[in-house]
Amino acid sequence: MQSSTTSWPFDTVLVANRGEIAVRILRSIKALGLKGVVVYHAADAASPAVALADVAIEISGDTPVAAYLDGAQIINAALGSGAGAIHPGYGFLSENAEFARAVAAARLIFVGPTPEQIELMGDKVRARAFVEKAGFPVAPSAIEDDDPASFVERARQVALPILIKPAAGGGGKGMRVVRDPALLEQEIERARSEGLRYFGDGRLYVERYIENPRHIEVQVLGDAHGNVVHLFERECSVQRRFQKIIEETPSPALSPEQRQTICDTAAGIARSVNYRNAGTVEFIYGAGGEFYFLETNTRLQVEHPVTEQITGIDLAEQQLRIAAGETLPFSQADIQAQGHALEFRIYAEDAAAGFTPTTGPVLQWTPPTGPGVRLDSGIAQGQNISAAFDPMLAKLIITGANREQAIARADQALRELILLGCQTNIGFLRRVLNHPAFVSGQVHTGFLDAHPELAAGPELDHPSLLKLLATAALMTRPLRDAADAVPDMHAAMGAWRN
Amino acid sequence: MKHGFKVGDADYDIGLSRTADGYCLHLGSEHFAFQLRPAEAGGWILASGSEVDHLAIAVDGDQVHIHLDGETYQLRFEHALQRLAELNESSAADVIRSAMPGNLISLDVAVGDHVKQGQTLLMMESMKMETTIVAPRDGVVAELHVAPGQSFDKDALLLTLEAQPDD
Repeated sequence: MQSSTTSWPFDTVLVANRGEIAVRILRSIKALGLKGVVVYHAADAASPAVALADVAIEISGDTPVAAYLDGAQIINAALGSGAGAIHPGYGFLSENAEFARAVAAARLIFVGPTPEQIELMGDKVRARAFVEKAGFPVAPSAIEDDDPASFVERARQVALPILIKPAAGGGGKGMRVVRDPALLEQEIERARSEGLRYFGDGRLYVERYIENPRHIEVQVLGDAHGNVVHLFERECSVQRRFQKIIEETPSPALSPEQRQTICDTAAGIARSVNYRNAGTVEFIYGAGGEFYFLETNTRLQVEHPVTEQITGIDLAEQQLRIAAGETLPFSQADIQAQGHALEFRIYAEDAAAGFTPTTGPVLQWTPPTGPGVRLDSGIAQGQNISAAFDPMLAKLIITGANREQAIARADQALRELILLGCQTNIGFLRRVLNHPAFVSGQVHTGFLDAHPELAAGPELDHPSLLKLLATAALMTRPLRDAADAVPDMHAAMGAWRN
Repeated sequence: MKHGFKVGDADYDIGLSRTADGYCLHLGSEHFAFQLRPAEAGGWILASGSEVDHLAIAVDGDQVHIHLDGETYQLRFEHALQRLAELNESSAADVIRSAMPGNLISLDVAVGDHVKQGQTLLMMESMKMETTIVAPRDGVVAELHVAPGQSFDKDALLLTLEAQPDD
């Protein structure tokens, strides 16, 4: 299925990102025989991405995050290093149309969609309107801007329950669910004041609220010649604070017919904008089998590896080939999925304390091994986990012949994966994995909120407490020295105590 | 002599002694005889009676990190003097620490400012959310320990108020 490029329009690619995704992209760049450059802030000097790159260029900023958002500095680094293309990864500048324009203006290639596609798909209200006009399903809705005077009445007609969202919003802020018609006007006013407070914009829209929905998204690839394919779906329903933590493919919820419909719909949406690059079309999927367009992400997704595992297609490689102007080397019929893949996001956080981020040194980092195990990691032993960046450290991706085998392998891999020095969510992920609802595939986006005991964790049992205290005591110099100072003769007497 | 360890929020006073073939942990009236040795394949073997566990252990100053049966635990050794000092520490309300790691977005006060209880001192960001830190009491800002844009760890010292005179 591989086409061979005899002449690339660039021989060096700069990765404008950090952590695990910078490592991931550099691997594909190098596997293609190209040279990989990475930019890094001093806080990441000891990171694996810097070690893996052919050239690493330090950038600076008022904060470490600001350095990675400084497009001008990154473009200068690319020009100075002889890079002909910039891969933005995810987050940071990846969905910034102005950056994509600036990259092109500097006569460099942006590994991504056109600036116009980023703008159309990045604006949620515009994207919804576009998708609806193209004849694809969106949740019944009412947009205040269409006619502010009739907004309350139109909201009522959407039929309860409804979700009120700020037009300028994101990240779940200012969203309110209304189930009681008597409260509609009051809740609209509350959402408006929250929208003003968070975004400086009180405009709203409402849409039908889907109770306990699943989050299902479809991977698409489009080239510059109008070819678009889908690479099947991913289910990402296990979320905390609106962030995905476990993703899988195929979705355990879809029948073959439903899968066909949702994947064709996604490809159709991408085709209707002549989409170029890897992209993801997200849907909410109701318990009754209805699905609605949610949004499009015009970049490589965090959870892209599960798709790679079951299709055998390297998505970062395809992004580079598409950016180089190649035609997709496969048609829809060529793309076959085999097996089942799960991804677990490893976070530096304390699940029991409301998922607050944690920090600390990486004293020991032991990746798991075995069949079907892939670890995309951005950390190394000796590094320090700071609060300066997003707390995601690595992704554990497990593949099996079927879901049951993938779950069994994942349980073992999560037992073997060890990070000492900084608290992580590894134990929590294993508890979720082994919950009967997850095992039977019956999860929705409210699953973790409905099961707070998973985050709290089990009480420490007494035998384990004794083992931990015994180990810690012996590993602590003042205690071991004091114990060892007692002559053997006394020690041999047995129940000696202080 | 007893030594303190913190496991989560709980404190335990323990003792350690030698036995003929290993060590014995003393917790209250309980005795737990054990042996701990490096494993050939890496990690450690903890044996007690017929029970054997494979552990990973890392020590960082007073912290002992242990991986046991798929879960990771953090134990903190508490020096006797330190514990005493903590009991006598000046009013906790004099120092303002961060409850979680984060970044400082803005400072609303300067050294020497008189502040009222509930007044906004600073704004921090953590988990992509903004949190406002307010004065726990009336007082005068004595010291600022962070600057806007700076990131810090959990329990980091953010701001000190002038000590209150004893009434």
